[in-house]
Formats: sequence, structure tokens, C-alpha cells
Amino acid sequence: MAEIEITSADFEKFREFFYRKTGIQFEPSKRYFVDKRLVERIEATQTQNFRNYFTTLRFEASGEELQNLTNIMTVNETYFFREEYQFECLVNSILPDVVSRKGDNGPIRIWAVPSSSGEEPYSIAMYLLEFWAGINQWDVEIISSDIDTEVLAKARAGLYSDRSVQHLPLRLLQKYFKSTGDGHQISQDLRDAVDFTRVNLADRGTTRDYRDFDVVFCRNLLIYFDDISRRGAAETIYDALKPEGFVCLGHSESMSRFSSLYKVRKFDEARVYQRPADSK
Amino acid sequence: MAFVKVAARDTQQDTANPRALEYDALELQLHDESADVRRWAARDLVDCPSASRMLVGRLHEEGDASVREVILTALTIRGDDIAMTGLVECLRSEHVSLRNEAVEAMKQLPEKMAPIIRELLGDPDPDVRIFAVNILESLRHPEVESWLISVIETDPELNVCATAVDLLGEVGSPAARLPLHRIKERYADVPYIQFAAEVALSRLGGE
Repeated sequence: MAEIEITSADFEKFREFFYRKTGIQFEPSKRYFVDKRLVERIEATQTQNFRNYFTTLRFEASGEELQNLTNIMTVNETYFFREEYQFECLVNSILPDVVSRKGDNGPIRIWAVPSSSGEEPYSIAMYLLEFWAGINQWDVEIISSDIDTEVLAKARAGLYSDRSVQHLPLRLLQKYFKSTGDGHQISQDLRDAVDFTRVNLADRGTTRDYRDFDVVFCRNLLIYFDDISRRGAAETIYDALKPEGFVCLGHSESMSRFSSLYKVRKFDEARVYQRPADSK
Repeated sequence: MAFVKVAARDTQQDTANPRALEYDALELQLHDESADVRRWAARDLVDCPSASRMLVGRLHEEGDASVREVILTALTIRGDDIAMTGLVECLRSEHVSLRNEAVEAMKQLPEKMAPIIRELLGDPDPDVRIFAVNILESLRHPEVESWLISVIETDPELNVCATAVDLLGEVGSPAARLPLHRIKERYADVPYIQFAAEVALSRLGGE
């Protein structure tokens, strides 16, 4: 097969299209990363050149190829207990605040998006079991979502490398995982504890039913969005939260830079964002 | 107690946007008594043809800041002439929050704002010109510096020039040095301009 070329014009065309579909903006500095993956998919689909492939992407009714491409364009590397101080904040400050205002016996609802391959939602579940006495009094519902269907399948399978679990205390590794020879599988109980779903934060249709969460973890995702998409994502999360619900972002992200919807809450462990109480 | 699962919706594909048929329903929802419903209506109207006029109209009546923010985002995403005119009109509003919110929204639109900025910087109302300079503060556009230089060279209003001098100190390059020296001469008897221009010059370097 002749070498497949992605021209600057192709890159620009693709960049604009992918942004509209996913809210993810690739800067020109990501050109190598993007080109490499486009060529990979052109070869896999045997569409021979960018033009044919792009036509498939745009007009394929099932959207299957767009999903395949999205899967390889999104970066999914993470590990258990990443930015652990936020989990400490969850159990020591956020959940006590949530519980103190709770007017019913329904479950406390937590949404972790993006799920990536599951390390974050499972870390939350483990943290609650290990470090939050309230787990004995309250039901908790953890939903975790991602745009990438392949990582969702990985998350559901719960299989991890040594690298993923390297920051876990040995005691927790032994308690919640079993060795599989070349890795570690998280226990069935924890796999059953998290509901993994596919969501595109840039698409209102997929987020419409996500409501009434007490806490949302949305860490290290908005850094891939441009300003206007970040505003859109902030609005989506706002509507997914109950009044006075909390959002935790990654340590380098700040909601205040692109949205004034939230107020900042400074706890001892971390700075998080809170949807204000309803003003009717 | 324990972990529980309540049926969450798992959408395997992105969904179609609202159809034009829903437009009337969305118009009603945009005036619903619940802010939650109004926010969703504003977001759904992004994809409805000719929704900009309705969104602009609602923006000026809307009392809930969260709904205004969503309407402003919807207008910036739409970015058509009516939306842009509506955003600009907010700069003339007596409603301080709305004005500031509109400035923040417009900062997100470098390409669409470029032709409008030139008009705003020539607006007869000095307050509008000051807001235009505020928009430049974080507008990622290659002409920001040249617009600011043009302001300090030509604007007849002291306060507009002072705002631009402050900003040049943050976003300018050595190309702004000469204009800054000239404005110091032009307002030789205004201590604030002397001070602000000196601060800007010291930040710019290049001497």
C-alpha cells in the first residue's frame, strides 16, 4: 500500500470535525499524535486515503468508526489512588457535609467521569469502604462514564497491571485484588459496586438523564477541551448535581477560569467546587 | 448499608439534537418557573434554527445567573449575527452582572469578536470602549496588541486609554514601548497615566 499522507488541510478538517463531535480540541502541537492514529484507522478500515476515510467518518449511520477513532484518540492512562488527597477530602469533608443536609434515606450518588479503565471509581469505592464510617449507614451509588467504549469494557473486567496498582498500600492490594499471573483483578464485589456507562459530555443527548448527584469527580478531562467546551461541560455537570452538590477537578484545573456557576469550597484536604443552593 | 445500582442510562451512540418541531415547546420551557427547565431549554435551543433572537430576548429578562450563563454560552456557540449583536447589546445594559457575564462570554470567541472589536473600540460610548478593552484581556487573537496600541494612540477619553495602558503591560511586547512613551507625553500632567505607563514599560523590557 502506498504511504498514507495526512496534509495540513486534512488535519485542520479533521480537527474541526472531531471538536464538534467530542469537544476535544487538538492543538497543532498534537499533529504527530493525531496523524499516527488517523493512518492507523485508515489502514484498519482499508479506506486507502484520508478523503475516503473522512467520508466514512462523517456519513456512516451507525457511528461505529467515529467511536473506534474516539477510542484511540483519547488518553486513558491513570492509576489507583491518583491525587489521593481528594479521596481524603471526600470521606473527611465532602460526605459529612452531604449527609448533614440529606433530607431522605435515598442513596448518596457519586458520578466519576471520565472513568477511563476504572481506577478512579474503584478507588472511590475502596476509599469509602476503608475510610468512611458512613458506609455502614448509607447506601452509595457510584456511576462512572466514559466516551471510550473500549476502556469501559476494560473497567468492567477490572484487570490491572503492576503499574496501575503501584500506589496502593499492600494491605488493600491483597484485600481487594487477586493475582492473575500477569496482573491483578479487582474483586467481584467492587466490580459490582460501580455502574459503568458510556457518555459524551459534549453531547446533551447522552447526559440528559444524569441528574441528582451529590458528588461529581471530573478530573483531568477538561484540560483536553477548549474554553467554550469547558463552559458547556461545566453546565452539564451543574445540571447533573443536586443543589449544593460538589465537583472535584484535577489539581491543575480551575472551574473559576471558565465558569462562574460554582462557588469555591476550601476544605483542609482540597479545594473543590460547589453548586450553590437553589434560589427560586 | 452498601453499594447500590439504580438503572443508569447507557447510551452507546450520541443522539440526535432536538428537532425543529420541539422549538415551540422549548420556547415555553425557556419561560418555565423552574431554573433547571430554563437552563435545559437554553441548551437545547443551541441547535434550533433562528433561536438566537429568542435567547437574546430571554437573556435580558432572566433573573437567575445560572440560566444567564447557559444562555450566553448558547449564544457564543451559535455565533450568528443576531447572537453576536445580542452579546454586544449586553455591554450597554444597566444590569452590571449581565454586562460582566457578557464580557466573559465574548472573551471565548476570538475569531468572531475580531470584526466586532474594531467597531466596539470606536463606539461613541466610552464605557462600551472600556468593556471592549476588558474583552481583549483574555481574547486569544494575534491583533490584541495592535488594537491596544491603536487605543492609546487615538482614543480621546482618558479612562479608556488608562485601561488599555494597564493591559498593554500584561500582554504587550517591546512594540508597545514607543506608543507608551507617546501617551506619557500626551498626558504629562496625569499622574496615573505616568505611573501606569512606567509600570507597563518596566514589564515589557526590550530597551
